[in-house]
Amino acid sequence: MTQPAAAPQAATDGVRPSNEKVKDLIIDARDVVKTYRTDDVVVEALKGVSFSVERGEMVAIMGPSGCGKTTLLNCLSGLDNIDGGVIYINQEDINKLSDDKRTEFRAQQMGFVFQFYNLLPVLNSIENVELPLLVSGTKQGAARKKAEAALDLVGLRDWSKHKPAQLSGGQRQRVTIARALVNQPAIVWGDEPTGDLDTTNADAIMDLIGQLNREHQQTFVIVTHAPDVAQRCHRIIHMKDGEIVREEAGQGVRAQAVRA
Amino acid sequence: MSEFFGIDMTYIMIALVAILFVALATIGYVFLRNRVMFQVGVRNIPRRRAQTILIVIGLMLSTLIISTALSIGDTVDYSLTSSTFNELQSVDQIVSTRTDAGVPSTDDDDDSLDEAENDAFSAFDSISSPLPMSRAQADDFVSQFRDVDNVDGAMALMRGAVAVQNVTRGQTEPFAVVVGLPDDITGFETDVQTLTGESISPADIAPGELLASESAADELAIEVGDQLTLFANGAPADFTVKAIVHDRFVTGSVFGTTFGFAMPVASASELLGRADEADFIVVSNTGGVRDGLVHTEQVTNDINTILAGTPWSAQETKQTLVELSSESASFFTTFFVVLGLFSISAGMLLIFLIFVMLAAERKVEMGMMRAVGTKRSHLVQMFMSEGMIYNLTAAAIGCALGILVSIVMVQLMARLFSEFGLQITFHVTAQSLIISYSIGVVLTFLTVVFSSWQIGNLNIVSAIRDVADPTRRKDPPRGSGFGFIVRYITWVLFKPESWGQFFRTILLIPAGIAVGAIGFGLFMAATSVYDSGTAGGALGVLLGVFGGFAIAGGVALVLIGLSSIVQWGPLMLVVGPILMAFGLDANGAFLFGAGFSMTIIGAALLLDFLGAPPRPVFTAMGLAMLVFWLLFAGGNTPSETINNLDGDIEMFFLSGVTMVIAGTFVLVYNADLLLGLVTLSGGLFSSLVPSIKTAVAYPLAAKFRTGMTIAMISLVMFALVMFSTMNSNFDRIFLSDDALAGYDVLVSEIPSNPVDDVAATLRDAPPPTSGDADTPSGDELADTIVNDDRVLQANGAVSKFTQLNIEEPDANSYPIQGMSDGFIENNLLTFQTRMEGLETDADVRAALAANPDYAIIDAFAVGGDFGGMGVVEGIEPTDRTMAPVPIEILDSATGKTREVQIIGVTSTVASGLFTGLYVSEDAFLDTYVSADSSLHYLQLVEGADANETAKGIESTLLSRGVQADSLRQQVDDYQAQSRGFLYLIQGFMGIGLFVGIAAVGVIAFRTVVERRQQIGMLRAIGYTRRAIAISFVMESSFTALLGIGSGIALGLLLANQLVTTDDFVAGGVTSFYIPWLQILAIGGFAFVASLVMTIIPSRQASSIPIAEALRYE
Repeated sequence: MTQPAAAPQAATDGVRPSNEKVKDLIIDARDVVKTYRTDDVVVEALKGVSFSVERGEMVAIMGPSGCGKTTLLNCLSGLDNIDGGVIYINQEDINKLSDDKRTEFRAQQMGFVFQFYNLLPVLNSIENVELPLLVSGTKQGAARKKAEAALDLVGLRDWSKHKPAQLSGGQRQRVTIARALVNQPAIVWGDEPTGDLDTTNADAIMDLIGQLNREHQQTFVIVTHAPDVAQRCHRIIHMKDGEIVREEAGQGVRAQAVRA
Repeated sequence: MSEFFGIDMTYIMIALVAILFVALATIGYVFLRNRVMFQVGVRNIPRRRAQTILIVIGLMLSTLIISTALSIGDTVDYSLTSSTFNELQSVDQIVSTRTDAGVPSTDDDDDSLDEAENDAFSAFDSISSPLPMSRAQADDFVSQFRDVDNVDGAMALMRGAVAVQNVTRGQTEPFAVVVGLPDDITGFETDVQTLTGESISPADIAPGELLASESAADELAIEVGDQLTLFANGAPADFTVKAIVHDRFVTGSVFGTTFGFAMPVASASELLGRADEADFIVVSNTGGVRDGLVHTEQVTNDINTILAGTPWSAQETKQTLVELSSESASFFTTFFVVLGLFSISAGMLLIFLIFVMLAAERKVEMGMMRAVGTKRSHLVQMFMSEGMIYNLTAAAIGCALGILVSIVMVQLMARLFSEFGLQITFHVTAQSLIISYSIGVVLTFLTVVFSSWQIGNLNIVSAIRDVADPTRRKDPPRGSGFGFIVRYITWVLFKPESWGQFFRTILLIPAGIAVGAIGFGLFMAATSVYDSGTAGGALGVLLGVFGGFAIAGGVALVLIGLSSIVQWGPLMLVVGPILMAFGLDANGAFLFGAGFSMTIIGAALLLDFLGAPPRPVFTAMGLAMLVFWLLFAGGNTPSETINNLDGDIEMFFLSGVTMVIAGTFVLVYNADLLLGLVTLSGGLFSSLVPSIKTAVAYPLAAKFRTGMTIAMISLVMFALVMFSTMNSNFDRIFLSDDALAGYDVLVSEIPSNPVDDVAATLRDAPPPTSGDADTPSGDELADTIVNDDRVLQANGAVSKFTQLNIEEPDANSYPIQGMSDGFIENNLLTFQTRMEGLETDADVRAALAANPDYAIIDAFAVGGDFGGMGVVEGIEPTDRTMAPVPIEILDSATGKTREVQIIGVTSTVASGLFTGLYVSEDAFLDTYVSADSSLHYLQLVEGADANETAKGIESTLLSRGVQADSLRQQVDDYQAQSRGFLYLIQGFMGIGLFVGIAAVGVIAFRTVVERRQQIGMLRAIGYTRRAIAISFVMESSFTALLGIGSGIALGLLLANQLVTTDDFVAGGVTSFYIPWLQILAIGGFAFVASLVMTIIPSRQASSIPIAEALRYE
């Protein structure tokens, strides 16, 4: 796999942080096309989107319903196949990987936070959190220790034996975040991570995400409808009708280590 | 088949069709009045095709089982009836010696089937009559009978037993029947017909010629023109075969078990040495083979009027045998249905589960429908519409497959029964198909209505949000003092939260009582009109069914009322002990067992209500029920009163169902303990750990559906394991050496050609003409005989006994055997009950030798739970000692009696070969005019081959018509046939396994839909397709294995309890045998089939596109 040439700058009217230099792209997508076909209906969900993210960056993707935000996230994370273009994640062209290799890659490099948590209702908090580690082949004992640490990180150590149904929405999302971070992925994808939460809980979750981003230099790509959530990111991508229409800087503060 | 569970099949059919009509009318009403709901319901069917197919399979299983059982009943009925018509042909009545000829009649109007059977079989039991008529008398009767209205023929027959050698082909047969026919066979022309349909008149048969029946021809390879030598009374006579004729009563065939030869009466008289005698008069009614039956009663009465005052009477032979065929068919059907009850119950559970899962799948859309104004009754109608489409289709397929299954089973049965000379031909009536279809539809309809009613009761908000319904648990009262105590007790006992709610719900109770009373009235009306003709019968069944429904509805209303007012726990704690008390009072095991279980369940529910942790509560409940039922079923509780409660086959069903429910509770509340174990073992294959974790966690979280599936599989496995284990233990018992009582060979002689001393006769006999060089000589055979012990047999038609020490004694027809001194001294019979003071079996023999008035009887005569006849009262199978039982043996032909005392009951093991009342030879000869036949039990020298010796004796003594059999071979053959039949039944019961397998499939399909989003998430975080598929397969395996394991464990536990008790055999079996191979085969099949059912859904799950799955809601 070769390092791609410098990504062409997407059409943008936004401003990247002034003193930043693009040198460590963790996500580099070029001319990504995704089309859905159902019987006679053809929907062009992504119309040649190009997009890149630096390591440690926290990027929000915004736009109206049906603009292709979630599709872009799914394609970037390898959850969905693309019909055109290339996507490099950590320098790996993920669409050239077999299903199993891509799954393995996802397990090692990515974490996910979904709007509806998507926790397994039959497992308790710690079992949910340790699941990605077990999938990656970590021994049970080691996985349990790391899961406890992850729950500690999100402030839920005392809730480790509770099942999702016994937790509040905010707590569930914290468990989801712990699960997303437990194997220290390079990127965490968030699809409306605060969409199912009230304002207080949403703020708390974004505080947590911001803190984790700063302290652990993890890259976050967050799809959201909420402007205040987007504003807490470093960069905001606006989409419309399957295209990126503009970029702007958010108010989030990047960790110094990455900026250096 | 004319009856099922004692009710006329026509009436059952009419009633079921009426209920079917009600079910269809209900759906018709929905279709006409609320078409939208009908359409919504029906349009759900093609949504998921694979699931629809599975639902239809699940729904059809009950119909399949019933249809199979009824088809087998029809087949047995048809085969036996055809056999009766074929063999009796024109013969409708047979005049022979009255079975009570010597006894003053005290019960003239007793026309019960048992009595009629004795009469009907008297002509078969004895080859010739114990009191033959003179030829002149017979001719006089024949001419009088021919003048009776509706009689188109009568003729007198002479019969006798002979041995036969086909000189032309070198074949021999030691026992055959010769019939002497009169010249005038008017009315019976079709009875003496060649295989090509030509009638033969006896007048055309020359001296030295005979007719061979078809079965005799097959046995001896006879062809027309062959030379035969017949041996009667030891003297040979040569004959030529003139023709081969059909097997008929008048040509000497008795249901294919005897080989018949017919000849003119003059030839027969000369051969048998009986001049001017007739054994039977056969009478043919007008109207042909089948239709002549309608005159049976009138002709029999008229003939018996003519015979009044003579020792002979006419028996309704054909009529009785036809009725008996129907009764046998009914027995078979009932037997199969009862054994199928476990599967049918599992099938009902499956139907309920299917609809509960369908409802879960559509919870959100149903919530939305309710939100936009759909009433609860509309949801019920919607589900009913959908359910009825599945139902009508599934029942039709079930019927058709039931026929296919029964065809296969009938083929197997035909092979087994051919040994008994019975031809089994598949046959099914439209009536049975209508009944099967209707039962299938009605059972499913009722389950669907119940499930739909349950489903309709949803919480709209929870449904729309697709979350669990909120629990409506009342908070306990707070406070202190007397008022608090009253409030607390009220809180524990009652559900209503206000007086208004209390009074509204309590009205259900009087309403239920009123409906129940109406139902009872209908039921009583039904019983009064049931016997008044066909219309009355149909009306009676209809009223009875609706009455039954009304009673059930009334009971349901009362229960709903009670359960809406009183908490289930306290309610059961009250009702349970009441049932127990009723059970104790009525000496009924069913009520007591049900009451005890209810009490335990009530206690658990109460503790659960009070907030006790569910795991220990329900585990303790399950274990308590298991322990109780194991002890109760085996009669091992500390209380003798409880152990002695009466129960029948329904206890098998109740104990099975209760134990399975109890076991399932223990499993579902504790299976998470297995998780640790499984995860530990998964450590060896760390890549499987995530799959194992989810595979175990999901079933444990869904306790209801997991429990239902485990219960379904467990129920059927339980029944199969119980059945196969008990049969295997039976098998081993009956195959043990105790069955032979120390003897090796049984030699039967024919009455006309007696053998006093087998060894001496062998030494005197000429070498067999057809024997090969290896056949031992008569001397060599005689040298192998250590003991030759004779037992005399009384004619089965006349041997009776009456028990003297009971009120209202009846004379029972029973085989009566006269034991020679040698037999008394040398037999090694084992006894389950001995007279007080007789410590060992040897003591019994010594007592018999010392007192000629002592007797012994077989174990079947004292009843028991396993098919005993129970003709002797006052001795229980479990008794080890007894007081002597005085009985009077009776020759009913002469009226001569003698009193003897029963001092022992032989063990069940020995009773298989040694059946009857064994009296001393002295008592026997004092009572009966002559022995009907003699049996010689031979003990051989050590190492002698019983089979070879038996063959040698038979061929050496061919001219004496001796039959010799190895007793070991007899036992082995009998057990092999019995085992074959039991395997067949196991196969039938195994159909029920498909219910459990279908349940696994239904759940697996449902799971894929239900967990679509979670599957997407698992794939997102790194589960490969393979891991997802493995997880699904493991999940199904986990549930299937729990069900299989639980069924096997419970079946073995209960079987162990039962076979080690005295009820099974005296003293119980000492070493419990487990047929592991059979059990593993059954369990393995169930497991593999469950896995196969999971393949498609697991593939579906693994191939779900991740992004699409994550979007799914």
